[in-house]
Amino acid sequence: MKLSKLTLATLSAVTMMAANSAAAKEDKVFVGHLADMSGPTAFVGKEYADGVRDAMAYINANGGIKGTGLDFETVDYAYKVPQAIASYKKWKSRKKMVAMQGWGTADTEALISFVARDKIPVYSASYSGHLTDPKGKNPHTKKPAPYNFFYGASYSDSCRALVQWAAKDWKDKGSKGKPKFTHIGANHPFPNAPKAACAEYATELGFDVQPSVVISMKPGDFKAQCLSLKSSGTHYGYIGNLGGSVMSLIKSCNTVGTDIQFMSNIWGGDRKIFEAIGEGVKDYIFPTMTPFWDSNVSGMKLVKNISKMSDSSGTKSRPHHYIRGVCSAYYMKEAMEWAKDNGGITGANVKKGMYATQNWVPKGLEGVCLPATWKDDDHRGIAEVNIYKGNFDKDNVSIEQVDTVSLERRADWLGY
Amino acid sequence: MSTSVTMRPCGDFRTSYKQDTTIFETKTIRWFAILAIAFACFAPFILDAYYLTLFIQVSYLGIAALGLNILVGFTGQISLGHGAFFGFGAFASAWLNTQFNIPVVFCIPLAGFLTMAVGMMFGMPAARIKGLYLAIATLAAQFIIEDFFGRAEWFSGGSAGSLAEPINIFGFTFDTDESFYYVALFALVFMFIWGCNLMRTRDGRAFVAVRDHYLSAEIMGVKLNKYRLLSFGISSFYAGIGGALYAHYLGYVSAEGFTIFMSIQFLAMVIIGGLGSIKGTLMGVVFMVLLPEAMEASVSLVKETSIGAHPMLVDGLAYIKEMAIGLVIILFLIFEPEGLAHRWNQIKNYWKSYPFAY
Repeated sequence: MKLSKLTLATLSAVTMMAANSAAAKEDKVFVGHLADMSGPTAFVGKEYADGVRDAMAYINANGGIKGTGLDFETVDYAYKVPQAIASYKKWKSRKKMVAMQGWGTADTEALISFVARDKIPVYSASYSGHLTDPKGKNPHTKKPAPYNFFYGASYSDSCRALVQWAAKDWKDKGSKGKPKFTHIGANHPFPNAPKAACAEYATELGFDVQPSVVISMKPGDFKAQCLSLKSSGTHYGYIGNLGGSVMSLIKSCNTVGTDIQFMSNIWGGDRKIFEAIGEGVKDYIFPTMTPFWDSNVSGMKLVKNISKMSDSSGTKSRPHHYIRGVCSAYYMKEAMEWAKDNGGITGANVKKGMYATQNWVPKGLEGVCLPATWKDDDHRGIAEVNIYKGNFDKDNVSIEQVDTVSLERRADWLGY
Repeated sequence: MSTSVTMRPCGDFRTSYKQDTTIFETKTIRWFAILAIAFACFAPFILDAYYLTLFIQVSYLGIAALGLNILVGFTGQISLGHGAFFGFGAFASAWLNTQFNIPVVFCIPLAGFLTMAVGMMFGMPAARIKGLYLAIATLAAQFIIEDFFGRAEWFSGGSAGSLAEPINIFGFTFDTDESFYYVALFALVFMFIWGCNLMRTRDGRAFVAVRDHYLSAEIMGVKLNKYRLLSFGISSFYAGIGGALYAHYLGYVSAEGFTIFMSIQFLAMVIIGGLGSIKGTLMGVVFMVLLPEAMEASVSLVKETSIGAHPMLVDGLAYIKEMAIGLVIILFLIFEPEGLAHRWNQIKNYWKSYPFAY
């Protein structure tokens, strides 16, 4: 009984102290940051979160938003919706949050209604197509998400770009007949997000779309699924999963001996995963929204300085998810700067700031972030997808760019 | 007896069954409960949205957890699919509202009944199997329903999720934390009183009889199949109501989140609170909702200090936080196997004879 009394007393004391420590500070705006560093998506979540956090720390260390500091708090919500909601409410009611950097499908979708009502722009890494239709113009859109932004092409648009590339690849190889296309992924909102949209476009381009193959988000033995891919004679397989699940898929399919051109979503391909898979990564196609760490573009200097915020030696090599986190934070920064000059940094003004410039690259990140355009009725910021190819030979990962696909901004693709 | 205001005084003997099954043991406890609820009505004027959202969480999770406690704690069955039923209630309510334009106030109970039907369907194996076998059968329900959410575009919106309108009564919309708080409070009190009353009825006693000794119960004329199935139905009804409240609070339901982990969390809540105890259920839910928040608060306290601001340490604390939650649950099971409700009774007994213990 002593023990439980003591525990209860400590817990309540801690809660009270936390409640009191939330005093507002002078000339600072609060940005909440939800990250998954210990949950199911931590494999890439940690990298992306580091990018966002380092960028915000760097902005603070270098003059802030034209003199206004960023007061930010990173919460590891471990991909649990209740914790995301509680953190959001805490920030909203106690810290006067003006914008939020979010993470995945779970938290972003749970908060859509709240952020729209509270007028708090959310920059997340959930690239679901249905977040791009702020006014609900497309009949497919169930819920308009006027305050949701993300840097990058939506999952659907990335998949369309990959399909477009695949169609060209099929022609270049001089193959005959209809290429077969299969969606591979768990039956969950994240892998499923581009499924229908991408299959539709693939059919339009003359693919023979096969029934999708379901593999778990968790690593496992996927030989049975690989056998069904083999028997269906799939030529191009789109991977909707990430992390360990992709690793298992490649390994299982190599054992089975399939001959599929794998194409993954943006989270399914990076140096770390190729190193983890090792032998067997052959011409693995994946999209990115930024160049790689070692590429020679002018903006990479700033990214490397930002990286020093958490890695003072400057030796760490960051994956492209990190760089995308930096871009996400910098678009928010420049929208806030616009807001400061046009009526003050509030959620509604930051949203307007996102529409102020067209074909827009944050200052200092030239060549790193792709030129983006957000409109008040179209939140498809990026319509360009860089396609890369990963290989693993003799203990070495090699990554090369194979194509850049520009997608038209078709009206029927908005929010879908 | 000044210190034992909420205790049952000496010489308070019950002479009828009616007296023995009152919800509140003494008048004082009843007055305390009524005062507490009256006081809770003023909470939105004092507390900010953060505390209100925690209370709302306690409410919808608590209602669902009470359902599970009726099934596990009172009837002695087991379910590993409670999270999926919770999700089914959420989608069903949103679906009824958008497809048939039924007002949300009616959608919530209707969603409860729909979930009840689904729960009874998946509870049917309970008529023939029990224990671990039943656990696996209900586990199947979890995966089947979860997969259904992902595929049934007409019902759940598939990967895009579905929209849930806020509750609207006579033109007043309950779309802020302050207003929804009252919905949550009403639902919580209503469903808990209903739960208490259920346990005082013939059906409630039948549940307990099935749990304690099903052979004797059967000999006494309790229809085992009927009551096992009914228990599944009631349990899912509660889950459906909890889920529907969750949906209309968020305004949006996505298939993410209604996973096996949620089902296990519900089980953890009833075990920590106390199996077969209605007030224990509420204690367990409060505990499970506040624990991660208290951990988060202590982590952010360390972050405020000068050494704590280092990113390496902050990341480390994030892991410690997750581990600590697991650790607390394990410690609870070792030192408090009968749950918080049991501990609460012991605390009461301790103070009853304070300072002169027997």
